[in-house]
Amino acid sequence: MESDRKRDRRSWDWSSPHCRTQLDDIFFRHHDYIQAGSAEHREFWTFFDRFQRFKTKKDMCSSEGGSRNAEDAKRKDKGKSSKMDIGLPVEYDARYRINLSVCTRDIEERLGKTGHRSRDKSSGPGDQEIADCRLTLLHFLDFWQKQSFSKLAKLRREQKNLPIYQYRDKIVELVRRHRVVVVAGDTGCGKSTQVPQYLLSAGFSYIACTEPRRIACISLAKRVSFESLNQYGSKVGYQIRFEGSRTTATKLLFLTEGLLLRQIQHDRTLAQYQVVIVDEVHERHLHCDFLLGVLRTLVSERPDLCLVLMSATINIKLFSNYFGGAPVLQVPGRLFPIQVIYQPIPPEEQPSRSEKLDPRPYLRILQGIDHRYPPEERGDLLLFLSGVAEISTIQEACQVYATHTRRWIVLPLHSTLSLAQQDKVFDISPPGVRKCIIATNIAETSVTIDGVRFVVDSGKVKEMSFDPKAKMQRLQEFWISRASSEQRKGRAGRTGPGICYRLYAESDYDAFAPYPVPEIHRVALDSLILQMKSMGLGDPLSFVFIDPPPASSIQTAVTYLKEQGALDNNGDLTSIGNLLSQLPVDVVIGKMLVLGSVFNLVEPVLTVAAALSVQSPFLRSSQQNPDCSTACQPLHSNQGDPFTLLNTFNAWVEVKGERGGGSRKWCRRRGLEEQRLYEMVNLRRQFRDLLRSHSLLEGERNAAPDGDRGQRRERLTERRKLHQLKRDHEHQEKSKRKVLKLEEGQDGDMSSGSDTEDTRRRKKDKEGSGQDVDIQEVKFKLRHNMSELQEAVTVSQDMSSRHQALLKLLLCRGLYPQLAIPDEHNTTRKDSDQVFHTKNKQGVVIHPTSVFASDPEVLHVPEHDARETGPDHKESTKHQLLAFVTLLETNKPYLSNCVRIPALQTLLLVANSVDSNADCTRLVVDGWLEVELKEPEEALKVLSTALTLRTEWERVLQVQLGQSAQAESAAPGVSRKALEKLIDGLVRFLLYTEVIYCLQRLTALQIQNLYIGPSSDLSRSKIPDVNPLFPGAKLKPHHIKGGLIVTSFFTYNCLADSRDLYSECLRTFWSCPNCDLYMPLTPLERMTHEASCRPAGEQQQLEEEEAGREKATSSSVSSLTRVFHCDVCNEDLTLTPTEILKHKRQHMYSVK
Amino acid sequence: MEQNTHQSSSKTFICQLCDLTSPYSYYGQKPPNTRAIVLLEECFVTRDPFSPDKEKFLVLGSTCSLCNSCVCVGQDCSLFYTKRFCMRCVNKHLDQFPHQIQAELAKKKDRSKAGVS
Repeated sequence: MESDRKRDRRSWDWSSPHCRTQLDDIFFRHHDYIQAGSAEHREFWTFFDRFQRFKTKKDMCSSEGGSRNAEDAKRKDKGKSSKMDIGLPVEYDARYRINLSVCTRDIEERLGKTGHRSRDKSSGPGDQEIADCRLTLLHFLDFWQKQSFSKLAKLRREQKNLPIYQYRDKIVELVRRHRVVVVAGDTGCGKSTQVPQYLLSAGFSYIACTEPRRIACISLAKRVSFESLNQYGSKVGYQIRFEGSRTTATKLLFLTEGLLLRQIQHDRTLAQYQVVIVDEVHERHLHCDFLLGVLRTLVSERPDLCLVLMSATINIKLFSNYFGGAPVLQVPGRLFPIQVIYQPIPPEEQPSRSEKLDPRPYLRILQGIDHRYPPEERGDLLLFLSGVAEISTIQEACQVYATHTRRWIVLPLHSTLSLAQQDKVFDISPPGVRKCIIATNIAETSVTIDGVRFVVDSGKVKEMSFDPKAKMQRLQEFWISRASSEQRKGRAGRTGPGICYRLYAESDYDAFAPYPVPEIHRVALDSLILQMKSMGLGDPLSFVFIDPPPASSIQTAVTYLKEQGALDNNGDLTSIGNLLSQLPVDVVIGKMLVLGSVFNLVEPVLTVAAALSVQSPFLRSSQQNPDCSTACQPLHSNQGDPFTLLNTFNAWVEVKGERGGGSRKWCRRRGLEEQRLYEMVNLRRQFRDLLRSHSLLEGERNAAPDGDRGQRRERLTERRKLHQLKRDHEHQEKSKRKVLKLEEGQDGDMSSGSDTEDTRRRKKDKEGSGQDVDIQEVKFKLRHNMSELQEAVTVSQDMSSRHQALLKLLLCRGLYPQLAIPDEHNTTRKDSDQVFHTKNKQGVVIHPTSVFASDPEVLHVPEHDARETGPDHKESTKHQLLAFVTLLETNKPYLSNCVRIPALQTLLLVANSVDSNADCTRLVVDGWLEVELKEPEEALKVLSTALTLRTEWERVLQVQLGQSAQAESAAPGVSRKALEKLIDGLVRFLLYTEVIYCLQRLTALQIQNLYIGPSSDLSRSKIPDVNPLFPGAKLKPHHIKGGLIVTSFFTYNCLADSRDLYSECLRTFWSCPNCDLYMPLTPLERMTHEASCRPAGEQQQLEEEEAGREKATSSSVSSLTRVFHCDVCNEDLTLTPTEILKHKRQHMYSVK
Repeated sequence: MEQNTHQSSSKTFICQLCDLTSPYSYYGQKPPNTRAIVLLEECFVTRDPFSPDKEKFLVLGSTCSLCNSCVCVGQDCSLFYTKRFCMRCVNKHLDQFPHQIQAELAKKKDRSKAGVS
């Protein structure tokens, strides 16, 4: 009625934007509590509409019960008579329930503050409209207060309800009193979120809390900052490898175990923290065990440091004892009762070794649930299997059942799925339908799914173990431990009472190991030992680990690091080792980075190193999709997988440069997980920074003020906008879970590239901007300079065959000794049956994801080139080997990430041990590969070139690394010219060496009788007095192999070879291309000569360099000359090696 | 560290009925940076932790106008009707409240009873 009146009076329309603007001028001015244009302002007008509707409805109702007011008055009178009057107004008004008032323009004007009454009465809002608006505003403010307060109250209620809440004071007190405290509590007790908060609110600051997983750092920081009412501040932050929210205001930091260890490398005593909380210590990750060891020593060094270990109630004594009987606070978990049903698989359904898993026991459980429990009773099923293959077998069978009954949605869950697919397990199933999540042990700890009522436990797990002898990782299936079994069971009781079906007998359970094998006992310790060395922790064998790894395992790692040149013979860090210890990657990949920067091949090496350090972006499931694999075809390189990865990354960057967020679609079409590419680009950036900080790379190119002022301003605005987007995303509340469709999962894995995900995301972003915000794209833009990246990509895209050859060599030197040789019969085998051999493992195959799995011919010796000389011996100039990144045994031993390399050339350039016979036509590399060369002449030439190249390579490497160690010192580095020359030499050697040879593995029998062994005086008499390759070092006989050590890797004439007896007579006439020398020489003599005799121009340059270096010694003699005592003349002569040879030759002829 | 403890505990609001505990930053009727807003009672106020805007405030509680006990603004602990009343006082003087409020309280009581049983 009221509104009718208004409309009659004037043309006032509440829904007109014009009218609203007029009110905005009164209530929402720029200095008011709510400003026009803000989010609250928008909310207000939405609220306004609702409130008006509500009021109209209420007005209509209240007109019927008009007599109530009189009744109220009566009541009031009665009250007055009986008790004291509390002074309430007689008439009810909702306005009285609001405890605030607001002063707006109309009131200011009424109070006569200003004279300018500019409001136009005839068209502007009348008093009634203003009053209406004011009342609504008050209600809106009140509503807002109530909303926020109820959030707060709910939060506090939930905190109080956590089992750990009653131990709050106890925990704080224990931490105040003791240096080390163990808090043990089972799933759901709230320790991870609450303990850091308790300490924070008790006044501790500078708290670090480590988590084994990056994702946990982020989600905990988010949760805890919300709970501690600091959602929009930075008091609580996180830091993981590439990102963080830490500021100077951060008092509580969640970070990964690995990252804290890295911090200790730089800040020995962790002075920046007052409290360190180590969460999930029972998981016994490598980093965690090591961290505990380091913290244990730190606690005694820093009396002001408090340490809190948090664990599930597993093996608590171990932790307490390790820290000298630290007090333990045990908190009960919050689990609902779980019924355990043992249902061992009957023998006829047991899977035999080669067969697929029998799905019948699993289907029976699904059926049983359908029979016993009405579909209205909600509750999902979580099924634990050991691996991906098992999951797809059971998924297939369950899907058939699900399609038939329409009561299940079957979802796989494992780490090789795309993140979007993994995310599906959190979505909700429609009423009457249950989720059946088939997972690996990822769902045991890493991923927590609420709403699970049934757990099916196969009792199996696939675990990685390391075979130090074969340097091979092994993924094997084991029975789980009792602790894991309990953990799996617990997943059924998070939201209500549950049931756990165990597909094994109770007696099996009793026979399980109590705890899983800690990671430190299962993996290669190379990186760990390297890190220990760089932290100065002394002898790794004497370090007190909570559960020491086997000494042999440490020894293997130390030996390996020595082989790799990271440790010297005393076990101390070398300069390259020091660098490697700073890189958060495998030693192998670290080496590539170092080599790449030394050889000016940084851009592609950075990409390859990053690509090899993250999971492959190629999703397994979509590579079986013909569309995806066709789309991927242009990315493939038959040089090897690292090159495919390089192409992929480059193409991706190009797409990003052109289409920005469109790269997501590009990736989907190719079955690529874009997340991995983002990881690569981040890692790449980190590698670059690390190399820079070690002066291995030149500093940032002067950030030239490219572009004019306007452009710069534009960029700045852009960045600001991006930052805002990122913040918005971070503060966005968890978007509502989507309801799954029954058809979900029916089309199986193939749909990973479908568009469903896209539409889903679009719905999630209800931001109204219409644009689909891709947070990864935003972060990418913030972190990386696109043009710089494109430039880097261009560099590695236009790679010449020369660069490619060099890149291969560097990769190979990094990967060495991870080499494999194709089996000699591969040419006659099917593509899928190609076999390879490594030094310690025979009969390995190429992983189906590798380019060589689909294109093995490129590894064969070309037919037209090969000449069969025997049953197994093929002569060719084109033998190839594979260098590989990983050797992993699952059902078969698989090689992954392989590169093909020219065999002889690469071996001579990278192998640690090359042994030869007398005329060097037979070479044995690393005691397992035999090279037989046809022509002694060629053999000598090749060997000699390789020796010279390697010597120079070592020199360059040493100088560059030494230089970086001294950081910015004025010491002259390797001249550009010398480097170019070396690169040229290496490339020439790799590409243009045309030598015919056979390549084969040695048989066990051959290996037994490989060497001459240390021999009589006869061989000793042959020792030349000088070794010109390494001036100053004497040629010594090898104590085990026999023969002579020429360089650290080359031993001459130690192979048991019938021709050996005649080595002295093997002289052939030879003319030196560089000097006039023409005489019969033994192979060794010839090599010696070649090493010292250089072309005239170069000789001069070399001498100049030498002279410069040796000026201090004031020796006027050329450094190549040595004092030589001739036994025949009985005289001391100062001669160059060539001169010595000539001199000796004289005597020989004279004797004869 | 010990000092910190005192500092933070000295500015903590605790509801005497439900024990809700939260730090507050202001007590009074005119919270800072709230421009034209005036509170009609003396309140314990903090910055609204759920709003990204630093200048938004949140009233945690105030003192009962009758018994002076410190109570939060939660529906179970107090109500405001021209003045603040803690639930104990409301129940004591229930008959003096308008029937709208009485009915509302009765309804709430029923609902919580149903929830328990």
